[in-house]
Amino acid sequence: MELVIAIFIGLLYASGVYLLLRRSIVKLILGVFVISNATNLIIFLSGGITRSGVSFIGDEAEKATLETMTDPLPQALILTAIVIGLGIAAYILALKYKYFETTGTHDLDQLSKTDQK
Amino acid sequence: MIIALPVFLPLAFMIFAFLFRHFHGREYVALGAATLNLLVAVFLLVEVNTEGMVKMQMGDWPAPYGITLIADRLSALMVLVSAIVFMAAMAYSIQSVDTRRKSFGFYLFSFGILMGVNGSFLAGDIFNLYVWFEVMLMASFILMSHGGERNQLEGAIKYLILNLISSFFFVAGIGLLYGKMGTLNMADIAQKLMNFETMPPELNPAFILIFVGFAIKGALVPFFFWLPASYHTPPPVVTALFAGLLTKVGIYSLIRFYALFLHQNSQFWQPLILWIAGLSMVIGVITATSQFEFRKVLSFHIISQVGYVVMGLGLFTVGGLAGAIFFLAHNMISKTNAFLVAGYVHRQKGTLNLKILGDFYKEHPLWAIFFFISAFSLAGLPPLSGFIGKYLLIKAGIEAQQLGIAFTALFVGFFTLFSMVKIWMEVFWKKTPDKIPAPIIKIALLDDKPVNINWMKWSSGAMAIIIILAGVFATPIVEYCTLAAESLMQPSDYINFVLENN
Repeated sequence: MELVIAIFIGLLYASGVYLLLRRSIVKLILGVFVISNATNLIIFLSGGITRSGVSFIGDEAEKATLETMTDPLPQALILTAIVIGLGIAAYILALKYKYFETTGTHDLDQLSKTDQK
Repeated sequence: MIIALPVFLPLAFMIFAFLFRHFHGREYVALGAATLNLLVAVFLLVEVNTEGMVKMQMGDWPAPYGITLIADRLSALMVLVSAIVFMAAMAYSIQSVDTRRKSFGFYLFSFGILMGVNGSFLAGDIFNLYVWFEVMLMASFILMSHGGERNQLEGAIKYLILNLISSFFFVAGIGLLYGKMGTLNMADIAQKLMNFETMPPELNPAFILIFVGFAIKGALVPFFFWLPASYHTPPPVVTALFAGLLTKVGIYSLIRFYALFLHQNSQFWQPLILWIAGLSMVIGVITATSQFEFRKVLSFHIISQVGYVVMGLGLFTVGGLAGAIFFLAHNMISKTNAFLVAGYVHRQKGTLNLKILGDFYKEHPLWAIFFFISAFSLAGLPPLSGFIGKYLLIKAGIEAQQLGIAFTALFVGFFTLFSMVKIWMEVFWKKTPDKIPAPIIKIALLDDKPVNINWMKWSSGAMAIIIILAGVFATPIVEYCTLAAESLMQPSDYINFVLENN
């Protein structure tokens, strides 16, 4: 299972980088979202993936022991990272909207007005 | 208790700032809160200086489990210097930011930056550090695009994407590190690392990812591209605030990580960091010479001066670290003041293109003197504070037998002087050219132009006086920095202090 998720993370990073390298700002933003989720999966994977029973309630036989229990902390970390990611997503979409409104373009190559010729 | 105040105070201000964002005295409320923050920082410094270190466990959870706030001498100095920079920026903003920006929460987000910066300096836990970075970044994203002019939006997109990528590097590194070490408390990780003879190679990917994250935040070569592409677009006071605070947080975190973890694998990290330091110094200063925009020249110099700090870190001797800490503090103040003067020049002339400007010394001699002091402090002329910083660093380099980097630092100093003389000649000394070409970059002027500019003058003048005083009365500051460097070289004190539960 770790291997499958690891390969999946790799694929997500690859497609995220591909999107980042496109000229359209919308695709750039999508690329940022994809990479952000791939990073969350890395944290998830780093905590170790175990198939265990219920931690605190239920029958004694089904209960996870301290040895088989999954570490809950990475999931708490991901939760924080997802919330931060949500805030950034809201901001970045608003920025994109404002930029399109001001300039009428979503081509990244047009972002050179302030550069020195 | 006092250690929580630098974080709590800006947060409280942000909550209440919603209520009075249309109130006309908001500038003075913000200045008052900044003054209060400065007082807290002074008390924190005094307490840390007498006790060595101060810590607080959030919610009274014992050390490796709960969130730790810890201040040692380095963090306390950084909190104090950023409080000074912040207060100067707040005073300057009273008459340099337009009312539209003020009513849309300029002060709210400025205090967001202050909260993130203070939190990063005091965090004792890696994930907590990441969260403070994000607080700081969110506020800085908004200030970067605040006002919504075309140039600002362009700069904001570049700034946003590259800084987000650095956060991804950092948080992926944290994930891998947690997977290997099972803890996020910095002191706990450092203690577990000390049990190994050599650094286990499984940890290298995590540390490399974290290092890249810090290097992007700190604008080191080859990760600096976001900085000169965006720092010349927002209102001048925002640039001054960013230049004083943001990159320095990345560098501070790098110093902390190197002292706690990376130095245990120093045969790999030391040459790498020294090379990056040398390249940052040289590339930053050479690219700056080719620029013809006031703020762009100064932006490229940030990269070069961050290189000096990292050089002191790479030497990793008491002298080198003391020099690095002194240089970091000096650079925050001098750089901010140079940007504040740039803001005044822009306000008077409507452009920052060096080719168009001129005659500024004749028209505004006082501001020319302010610029002279901060620019030549950056270039390292005695008796200003930059001279002491460079002297300590180069001396430490020669003592550590790293002649290559010491001479690089010396020669980069000459190039810095060349750039500063160039700005001086073009903006302040030469006659305004008769045939004026079209301005390259135009930033929107203020909606209302009050004649009174006393707050701008006082804040920039106070910074200039601090620069002179820090150079003339450098001995106690250097002694303090040496103590800070010694405690950084002894990570076991830090570890024991955090992990002991009383």
